[in-house]
Amino acid sequence: MELNFSPVHFIAVPLFAAFLLPLLGRVSQKLVTLVPGVVLLYLSVVAITLFPQAYDTPIVEIIAGWRPPFGITLVFGPLAAFLVTMITLIGFVVWLYSYRFIIREPLEKYYMLFMLLIAGSTGIILTGDIFNLFVFLEITAIAAYSLTAFLRDHNGAEAAFKYLLIGSFASAFVLLAIVILYANVGTLNMADIALRMGDVPDKIKLTIMILFIVGLGIEAELFPLNGWAPDAYSQAPSPIGAVFAGIVVKAAVYALMRVLFTLFDLPTSSHFLVVMGTITLLVAEMSAMRQQQIKRMLAFSSIGQMGLVLVAFGLGTKEGIAAALFLMFSHAVIKTMLFFSAGYLVFFSGHKNISDLEGMGREKPWTGFFFSLGALAIIGLPPFSGFWAKFYLLVSAANASHIFLIALILFSAIIEAVYYLRVVGRLYFKKFNDIEIRKTPFTGLLAMGILAIVTLVIGVYPDFIHELVLPAANELLDKAAYLQYAMIGQ
Amino acid sequence: MIYYITSIALILIGMYAVLVKKNLIKMIIGLSLVDGGLHLLFIAIGYVDNKTAPIFSKESLTAADMVDPIPQALVLTAIVIGLAVTAVALAIIIRLYDHHKTLNVNKIRELKW
Repeated sequence: MELNFSPVHFIAVPLFAAFLLPLLGRVSQKLVTLVPGVVLLYLSVVAITLFPQAYDTPIVEIIAGWRPPFGITLVFGPLAAFLVTMITLIGFVVWLYSYRFIIREPLEKYYMLFMLLIAGSTGIILTGDIFNLFVFLEITAIAAYSLTAFLRDHNGAEAAFKYLLIGSFASAFVLLAIVILYANVGTLNMADIALRMGDVPDKIKLTIMILFIVGLGIEAELFPLNGWAPDAYSQAPSPIGAVFAGIVVKAAVYALMRVLFTLFDLPTSSHFLVVMGTITLLVAEMSAMRQQQIKRMLAFSSIGQMGLVLVAFGLGTKEGIAAALFLMFSHAVIKTMLFFSAGYLVFFSGHKNISDLEGMGREKPWTGFFFSLGALAIIGLPPFSGFWAKFYLLVSAANASHIFLIALILFSAIIEAVYYLRVVGRLYFKKFNDIEIRKTPFTGLLAMGILAIVTLVIGVYPDFIHELVLPAANELLDKAAYLQYAMIGQ
Repeated sequence: MIYYITSIALILIGMYAVLVKKNLIKMIIGLSLVDGGLHLLFIAIGYVDNKTAPIFSKESLTAADMVDPIPQALVLTAIVIGLAVTAVALAIIIRLYDHHKTLNVNKIRELKW
């Protein structure tokens, strides 16, 4: 059977669904809940079908018949395939979890924004055009602002305003960078820009690079540009907190790495990335320790993990980048599970503070179990995927003979253990203070169960993912190959 | 040259407004100014003296007589994005005002930075 799947579907289908949903809402609310799930399932199928092909020969989709460098291309190479598959799968699980979670607010608005967010973040990863990247970044950001403010009874509006202000500054920086870039190279296709980058004076190159790092770093939660993150994570609905950690940040990190590795030559930026990643990691872990609210703690932990990812990218070796991608995948799975279970814990106990969750683990055995599992996984204990993520990172740091990095990573794991196990301890070893308990929806448990199984399976067979990330890492490093296939027809 | 100076001035005024002003609406106006400045800068970069709009309105026009069309297309997109961001921002401000009955940033900081 000849199936005509194409990477365009990743952007077009959710975008179309997003605009269809308000109409469907007038027909039936049931459809509004079901359609996003069908869309995400379809996208996952497309991603998995195209996967082997992308690893074999990268698919380059030319939009509207305009050949590069004039038109917009979608580049579906190993790296894009890996990340897009990850995003669609996480998106599907988030849909499963949201299936029964959102109750009071209008459903079609929620799912519409969610679909836009998926379209935007897959677009960021697929596009081969720098201005297109900016557009998708903005689509993602606008959907994310609105989703942060989604629940009226939370402090959502304030967190969203903060996020919007910082995010708009970020996009202004990115746009300025694109303007200066265009003025100097006269093209917008990323591969074409990379080819012409040699003619640009060093000072201008540096300016553009700083603008990009600031602009994309805000979305990628780079210290000190991540002030928006803890508020947005904790005030948004729980599934959206998971989406931020599992999808939005990953897409932003990809954008930053694509720009740094493909447009600029690596050695100038790598030390910078290691240092910034280290600072991000330490500050975030220290802040996570002090948090009273469980979701803020998860948010800071998420920032810390992104710091680790940046350190791994900064190593600049193939192993390092592979470790970074492995860590991104592992973190997306585990942190989504943690946000899901924390969402239920907060929802059932009616309190956001860690101290009010005492004994919840005895009362809600499954939710508590998944949270504890996630906590152990993210600290990096075997047999979970988190262990291998840190293991590969340590090996690549050792091979690059960065001894202090090894100490740092292990030190951060200890801090993580302290603040995660503190919560887990409260869940089980304290007495339960009496409150009314409702039943956990089945779909929610199913969503968490899938993620738990994924992290366990990858923990037992890490080679499966590791073999997938190696070619992806290669794509990021091997600039010449990327230029060759992204400039097809030249 | 005047375009460059104006656009950079606009960007700086906008940034000043966002960073210094305490009124939420004024901050958003500042954001729009930054956007406007960037758009002007982009158009100015694509502008060529004594050339016409990139539309084939007359038979005699060739591509050499026109200004660079790409920045104009991009700025159109960027304007729409700016509009969307401003709309979302204003919607959020309405909700903040309903909640706190004030537009002063200092009075509505419940969350920590």
